Amino acid sequence: MKKHVKLLSLLLSLCIMMTCFAACGNSSSQSTPGSSDKNTSAEQPVSASKITLFQQKAEIAEQLQQMAKAYTAETGVEVEVWAQAGDEYYTNLKTSLSSESGPTVFTLNSDSEINEVKDYLADLGKLSFLGNIQEALLAVRDGKTVGIPMTVEGFGLVYNGTLVDVSKMTDTDALVSMIAENSANGIDTLGLSQEDYFLAGHMLNFPFALQEDPKAFCQKVYSGEVKLADVPEFQQYAQILSAIREHQTNPIEVTYDTNCGDFATSKTAMIHQGNWAYGVMSAYDPKFDMGITGLPINGNSKICVGVASVWCVNADATAEEQALAMDFLTWLYTSETGTHYMMDEFGFIPVVDGMESKSLDPLSTAVAEAVAEGNILPWTFNTEWPAGIISTDLAPITQEFFTSSMTGTEYLEALNAAFVAAAGA
Amino acid sequence: MIPFLLTVVVPFFQGIGYSFVSWNGMAKTAKVFVGFQNYMAVFSDKRFLDSLVRTTLFTVVTVAIVNTLALAFALWTTSRIKARNAGRAMLFMPYLIGGLILGYVWNYILGYGMSLVANATNNSTLFFNWLSNKQYALYAMIVVATWQMAGYMMIIYIAGLEAISGDVLEAAQIDGASGWRNLISIKLPLLMPSITICLFLTLSNCFKIYDVNVSLTGGGPANATEMISMNIYNEIFVKSNFGLGQAKAVVFFFLVALITFFQVRMTSNKEVEC
Amino acid sequence: MKKAKSTLSSVLLVCLSLIWLSPIYIILANSFKSRDEMYVNPLGMPVKFSLEYYSGAMEKMNFLRAFGVSLVITIVSVAIIVVLCAMAAWMMARSDGKLSKAIYYTLILTMLIPFQTLMMPLMQEMNSLEKLLGFQIKDTIGGLIFMYIGFGAGMGVFMFYGFVKGSLPRTLEEAAIIDGCNTWQLFWRVVFPLMKPTIITLVILDVIWIWNDYLLPSLTLKSASNRTIPIGTQIFFGQYTIEWNMAMAALMLTIIPVVVFYLCAQKHIVKGVAAGAVKG
Repeated sequence: MKKHVKLLSLLLSLCIMMTCFAACGNSSSQSTPGSSDKNTSAEQPVSASKITLFQQKAEIAEQLQQMAKAYTAETGVEVEVWAQAGDEYYTNLKTSLSSESGPTVFTLNSDSEINEVKDYLADLGKLSFLGNIQEALLAVRDGKTVGIPMTVEGFGLVYNGTLVDVSKMTDTDALVSMIAENSANGIDTLGLSQEDYFLAGHMLNFPFALQEDPKAFCQKVYSGEVKLADVPEFQQYAQILSAIREHQTNPIEVTYDTNCGDFATSKTAMIHQGNWAYGVMSAYDPKFDMGITGLPINGNSKICVGVASVWCVNADATAEEQALAMDFLTWLYTSETGTHYMMDEFGFIPVVDGMESKSLDPLSTAVAEAVAEGNILPWTFNTEWPAGIISTDLAPITQEFFTSSMTGTEYLEALNAAFVAAAGA
Repeated sequence: MIPFLLTVVVPFFQGIGYSFVSWNGMAKTAKVFVGFQNYMAVFSDKRFLDSLVRTTLFTVVTVAIVNTLALAFALWTTSRIKARNAGRAMLFMPYLIGGLILGYVWNYILGYGMSLVANATNNSTLFFNWLSNKQYALYAMIVVATWQMAGYMMIIYIAGLEAISGDVLEAAQIDGASGWRNLISIKLPLLMPSITICLFLTLSNCFKIYDVNVSLTGGGPANATEMISMNIYNEIFVKSNFGLGQAKAVVFFFLVALITFFQVRMTSNKEVEC
Repeated sequence: MKKAKSTLSSVLLVCLSLIWLSPIYIILANSFKSRDEMYVNPLGMPVKFSLEYYSGAMEKMNFLRAFGVSLVITIVSVAIIVVLCAMAAWMMARSDGKLSKAIYYTLILTMLIPFQTLMMPLMQEMNSLEKLLGFQIKDTIGGLIFMYIGFGAGMGVFMFYGFVKGSLPRTLEEAAIIDGCNTWQLFWRVVFPLMKPTIITLVILDVIWIWNDYLLPSLTLKSASNRTIPIGTQIFFGQYTIEWNMAMAALMLTIIPVVVFYLCAQKHIVKGVAAGAVKG
């Protein structure tokens, strides 16, 4: 028996040694980028009439399946939709792209994501309908168009027209005194919720977007030239948060579901949300008149509108698959069936000129109107802010603010430090 | 063994290799060799060190509670009582609930449930939403982790208890050993292998805890509950500092390996071989 | 007197278990509620028990197909893990060499690595391996099983090793060798049957792990025909919204098979197996 054990051990150790060598060889060969990708396309099984599609919005998952079927029926090309991955979407996408098994068509959700995977993005410049999309909405890297906007989304103060008269909310002071007055009657004026993006992402976009040149302003903050605590828009922002901390339910205890439920059942007059929230509210069948307006810093009434996700095509896919992917996107944005799915089934606000949707929900209608009238502010949180900063730094700082007696200035200083640190890394 | 080597050992060594480069994790992006710079960054990252200390504290407390409870449950459900099978099944069920649902359910309990109890007992200093307080959020983590793991460890203890031969116990009974004495001087020594296993498993599970962390507190409020795995995950996948994240993982690995090595050595020395 | 005490003990145990299970009550109750009912009535019993969310969840997840895939993956992986680990652990425990100790410690140490740090190198390595060997590993059930064997090895060896060292009498094996058993026969006829309590325990633990695992399958299995139950469940978790009622119904559907399995399996952890064998 001893002999067997010795033999086994010997074999095992041999294996270990071999794999160690393999590991070293592996990492060194992988560290030369681009050495291996040229021949992969030839080796991959060629499936001439099939593309794969991966995207994050679970809200449209079912309709997307139906659309895939409709597309196959019309063109004979199979579209396989990958399973939803929820919060793991981007991690999952990165891992699969990096191991050369990525989907043909996928979505990306911020500029920093696009920068990270830009080596994997095909040039979409030849698509025929590009000219009909506002240039500002397209994702362009190194002179190539790499992403096409799925839709635009907007956020701001979603208000209940019967509980609050927005015309009276003329500036920050008016909002702050409204918060105090309503709380005396047991009503929350401006409901926030605990999720990172809702607590410290979207709303914080307002003071940035209200600057004359938001892009340049961000750079000045990162370089230390400007301190947030010295900027009046941010001081007003902190003032609003302080009023919420003083008079309202602690946002940290409110989930997104409760947030929307409170609003839809008229328990809060306003919540800071976007047009996506209507999907949750519709379960309560709200009958009151609702709309979206801006955070009234400096008397602002514009809402923030931007592109949450863009469609991209995998540059590692075979030329054939890439061509099929382009055909698919063209179909989606120009054909009758494709646009029908985009507008009526997904409920998207159209981004292509001349496309007009008649079946938008009240909040999306408000956003579409704001876009048409030009009453909009840009998004900076997914274009200018350092990657991942909302969940790793800004949300924790804001939680600290809501659970302690930190002053508004201290809060702004902490945010400032986080921005500088993250931008420098 | 080959699957083991290919799926665990090789990626692990690759990971160590990556801890010396600056890289965002994508195969096509060039890696830049930076030597020990990542490691220096790890040791000057206060947030990482804080979460290391926090994770260690959390682990010590949770391991103690989980194992005591699990052993008690196991002894109870191996005694000759009617409800033992039902009891076992029910106690172990929490282990089946993971991910987002777990966070959701406990948010309910800590939110609505606590306010219900607070109103009934008129005691709102203890019964409030624990997740909104830095210290209590950590207690909530301990409670939920215990709730999840105790039943799981119970299964291993049950197997150990069932393997103790009836003869030994009978003999002890004839010799007049009381229930307590029986436990201390007969069952426990014979259970040492199971104890080694359970201690090790709880130690490693607590150090690696991620699911409960993400879904229950998300690291908050204000990072007060951010555990090591979450810190590493954020570094690698949210901030895309792959090299730095791997360096953290390597430091963490050696630390935990050291601790568990001593634990295994210590408890297995107490094992009796037949 | 003794009987009364035992009944009391039973009652107490049931009470404790029910408190222990109260969070699961919330899952069960809310799997019958609509969104607005959940909001108005968060803790109470549902107003009506309709199975609409269960049937909805089953349909959306393509439950039967996913169930089949999960079942195959779980059974095959667990079976291989158990057999391989039992052999390896027994061999290692019975040899006193430094090397076998080293292998043993390597195996258990790997249990300390958080999976999140392994996944990126792992998938890239599987890709190079695919090119090297010329067949598909990713997005195949076989490939996933292969990885499960790897990740399950540490725990399996660890548990069997503890059992062999602690409760497996060496005398028994020596007797069998004298009777003319070779190593192979010794393992299958003597050692493996004696390991039954540990086998059952490991099977239970591994079944739960693999059945519920989400991250690894989500990285490897992509095509629609390969979806496991946990992957299917993700359809209810939106970027902004979660369909809680469906998600909870789906969770109940996921855990019921495991609970049933556990109830069946635990009967086999029979008292005093090893002792009986020594006597016989």
